[in-house]
Amino acid sequence: MKLVRILAVIFAGLVLASCASGPKISYGDATAVETTTTGFGSTDLQSIAAKLVDDLISFPPIVQMTAQRRPVVFVDKIKNKTTEHIDTESITDTVQTKLLQSGKFRFVDMTAVKAVQEQMQFQMDSGMVDPGKAAAFGKQTGAEFMLYGNMSSIIKRNSSTKDVYYKFTLKLVNLESGIMEWAGEKEIRKTGEKSFF
Amino acid sequence: MRKIILKAVILVGVLMSMLGCAVNETATVVVNEDGSVTQVIESNSDLLASNLKIADTKTGFVGNLLKVQVEIKNDSDDALNFQYKFKWLDKSGFEVAIDGRPWQPLTITPYESKIVQGIAPNSSVNSFKVLVQD
Repeated sequence: MKLVRILAVIFAGLVLASCASGPKISYGDATAVETTTTGFGSTDLQSIAAKLVDDLISFPPIVQMTAQRRPVVFVDKIKNKTTEHIDTESITDTVQTKLLQSGKFRFVDMTAVKAVQEQMQFQMDSGMVDPGKAAAFGKQTGAEFMLYGNMSSIIKRNSSTKDVYYKFTLKLVNLESGIMEWAGEKEIRKTGEKSFF
Repeated sequence: MRKIILKAVILVGVLMSMLGCAVNETATVVVNEDGSVTQVIESNSDLLASNLKIADTKTGFVGNLLKVQVEIKNDSDDALNFQYKFKWLDKSGFEVAIDGRPWQPLTITPYESKIVQGIAPNSSVNSFKVLVQD
C-alpha cells in the first residue's frame, strides 16, 4: 500500500514536471546534412544549387560573357519528373539568389508580373502619384537568356534496401538565337537500409 | 570483471560521442595581394587526424571569382564517411554569404583521396576555410 502511494506521488511529480517544462524545442543548423528519409531533402536542395551555380559561373564562355556586363535572365519552371512532390521553385529561387549575389547576372521576375502591372496601373490611373515620378509603361528590359531544367529520379528497392537516384539538369538558352549556352547536371544517390533494431 | 566492462563501454561511448560532434580538420587559405598564398591546416582531433586529413589546397580565379580546390585523404584501411563545408571570407576577414554553402556528405575508400571544389559567392572573397568533420 505504501509502495503504491510512493509510486503515485512520483507519477504526479513527473506529470507536473513535464507540464512545467513544456515541449522540447531546439534550433538546428540549417546547412547540416539531413538524412531523415531517402526522400528529397534540404541537403539535396542546397547541394544542387551550390553545384549548378559553381558550374555556371565558372564555365569559360560564361566567364567571358559576364566579365563586362550582367546579362538579364528569366527563370522558367523546372519540370519535376520524379514520383515525389518537390517544390522545384524553391530550387530555382536558391539558384537565382546565388547567381544574383555573385554579381554576374540580373533577373526579370515573372512571378511578380501581375503585382508589378497592378502597381504601375495604380501609379498611372489613380491620380495619387506625381505623373513625373510614375514608372512609365514600356520601359522594362527584356530577358536575354532563359534558365530552365528537369528533375528526374530512379528508385529501386528490395526487402532490405531502398536506393534513390536523383538527376537535376539546368540549361541556359539564348532567347533570340535559341542556342543553348550552358547546361549543368547534379546527381545524388541515397541509400536507405531497414534497421532490425 | 563487470566494472571493467562497464568502464570500457562508458569510455567507448564518450570517445564515440567526441568523434561524432567535432570538426576535425580546418584549412584556412588566404590569397595575398601579391598573389601568394598563406595556408594553415589545423586539427582538433588526433584520433581522426590520423585517418582523415586535408592533404593539399589550390586556388585560382575564374574571372574575378576565387576558385578553390581541396584534396582530402583517407589514410586508413576503412572507407570513411564524412562531411565538408566551405566558408568564404573577404579581405577584412568578414564571412561572406553566411550559411550559403551546406555541409556536403562524401565517402572516401581506403587510402584514396578525393578532390572537392568551390567557387566564391562573389568577387569580394579573397580567402576561404574548409571544414571537415566525420
